[in-house]
Amino acid sequence: MSPPETEAERSNSSVLWVAKPLATAARQFVKSLWRPSTIVYPFERLEDPKFRTEVRVAAGKPIGVGAVWDNYRGVHALNIDTCISCNLCAFSCPDLCIDMVTVPGGDPKHPKKCPQIDYGKCSYCGFCSDACPEGCLTMTTRYELSVTKRAEMVYAPERLHEVYKTKLPMSPIRVERPQNEDSILLDAPLCIGCNACARDCPTKCITMLDIPKPAAKPGEKIPKRIWKEPVVNDSDCVRCGTCISVCPKECLFWGTHR
Amino acid sequence: MTGLTLYGVANGLIQYLLTHLYGVLPHPYFAFLVNGAVVTGLSVLVFAAILLGASMINTIMLIWFERKLLGRFMDRRGAMHVGYAGLLQNFADGLKLFRKHTYKPHDADALGFYVAPTAYLVSSLLIFAILPASTGWGAGALPLSLLLALVVFSFAPLFIFLSAWSQANKYSLIGGMRSAAQMIAYEVPILLAVVAVVIVSGSFDLTTIVTMQQNYWYWIPLLLALVVFVTGMLAEMERIPFDLPEAEAELVEGWNTEYGGMLFAFFMLSDYLRALIGSFLVVLLFFGGWTMPGWVPGPLTSFPLEGLFWFLVKTYAVFGVFVWIRASLPRVRTDQLLRIGWMRMVPLALLSIVLAVGLVLIRCLPLLGCLPSLGG
Repeated sequence: MSPPETEAERSNSSVLWVAKPLATAARQFVKSLWRPSTIVYPFERLEDPKFRTEVRVAAGKPIGVGAVWDNYRGVHALNIDTCISCNLCAFSCPDLCIDMVTVPGGDPKHPKKCPQIDYGKCSYCGFCSDACPEGCLTMTTRYELSVTKRAEMVYAPERLHEVYKTKLPMSPIRVERPQNEDSILLDAPLCIGCNACARDCPTKCITMLDIPKPAAKPGEKIPKRIWKEPVVNDSDCVRCGTCISVCPKECLFWGTHR
Repeated sequence: MTGLTLYGVANGLIQYLLTHLYGVLPHPYFAFLVNGAVVTGLSVLVFAAILLGASMINTIMLIWFERKLLGRFMDRRGAMHVGYAGLLQNFADGLKLFRKHTYKPHDADALGFYVAPTAYLVSSLLIFAILPASTGWGAGALPLSLLLALVVFSFAPLFIFLSAWSQANKYSLIGGMRSAAQMIAYEVPILLAVVAVVIVSGSFDLTTIVTMQQNYWYWIPLLLALVVFVTGMLAEMERIPFDLPEAEAELVEGWNTEYGGMLFAFFMLSDYLRALIGSFLVVLLFFGGWTMPGWVPGPLTSFPLEGLFWFLVKTYAVFGVFVWIRASLPRVRTDQLLRIGWMRMVPLALLSIVLAVGLVLIRCLPLLGCLPSLGG
């Protein structure tokens, strides 16, 4: 569009410069007179059913007003009943915001520990729910987290269980384990058969099997130990590494079966 | 038209109080109170108080109205939470400003710093005593009330410049100078547009101008003058698209940078008071004031205080147009502002005067009814 040349042309366009925006604004006014785009947030939410009719759907996914994506990563939901205290969530957390705290339900010798999440540190990366072998720690679509005290940002396992009970939409649970994963291997000569690994295994997939006590050869001392060895059931193992960390002789390690 | 007048309401209130004070107050005081001059004085005070309260409440409602309208223009809702649909939001804001401490910059001139906002507010409030909102709802018949209103209205640049000078802040001073220059520049087309109305109606009295519009409202023959007047008023009120002195998106606060708390509230209130006055003047001069045309069905124009009601409806509608313009148009540059003022508005105003003279000369508009003769 070239700039106006004559005086008449210029005056004509200056009238249009006033009239056109006025018309645009009037059209917008009439359009938003019934319902503006904004919602009165604390009193109505995008998830309310009344907004469901206004959701535009493209490629099977809702767009814009009316929905939170189902794979939204919000506040966690924790099913305490199925949690096996494997510590994988706390281990995978890059922000170190997960503490394993004792919850009622375990026996006194082996207390049950479940994740407690500090949302002041959490970056909502979702590694913990990916790592959870039982699918008991997932992320929901809840996004309201404002609190008045910093301590309130720490969600105890019970509180996360409350979130679980609200049945909010959750992010997809990935329980299948990737292929070609390492297994727990045993450096047999070092083992003393102490049963610590089998005792602390959250899935009880380690069995202590008897091994024959070797006959004493002349000039050689038979080591003093319990004549048992751990055998790991790989299909039940969640690769949490608890056995490796509790082993007093450091005889368990990650490796591949030959 | 009902016989109810604002002064009558005030006087009746005083009389009612006096009848209930009989026997309660000791006799000498009561005898002093029932003195005619004292009753009149008290009535005038109550009259002024009612007028002040009404204009203040209207101003605050005007801010609410603007916020809501502007919200809809921008596809949002405006204030929602204090009171029903945010009706009390601006009262709450005002209370907050009441509580705030007012700071004076160290180098500022105290006299000008404190006097300027007060004088600005008072001079704006003064106009409400002059403008008749309905029959009997003004200060009475003043033969030159239009002229007086415009004179008081044009005090503003003086006080703005006074405050800008007293703040000892170069940015305020620049803003004040721009503001004063803009206001003075647009006084000329406003007055020329008003001259057209005065020529057609033959009077400077606002009540007479309104009663002259019984047959037709003046915006029909004087559309040009209306356009010039509204444009000039927008510039006088420093509203978008002429809000150069207080360009919200660019400057901090324009000429009232250093003000906070209640002194800022004075400026804010005065701005909206002046917007209200501008809408009042547009309604009075061009839209028949409190009268309604004859084709409006009777029940709509024959209830108590109908004049006041229609006057306010028209006023808010005119202000709605101001908001519409604010929501639509971008801000002009200084050179554009002055070019529009001097090169477009003044010739248009002169043209409208010529049109008005032509109207008076032919005396009679066949479709619209007879015009009054000019001065016999």
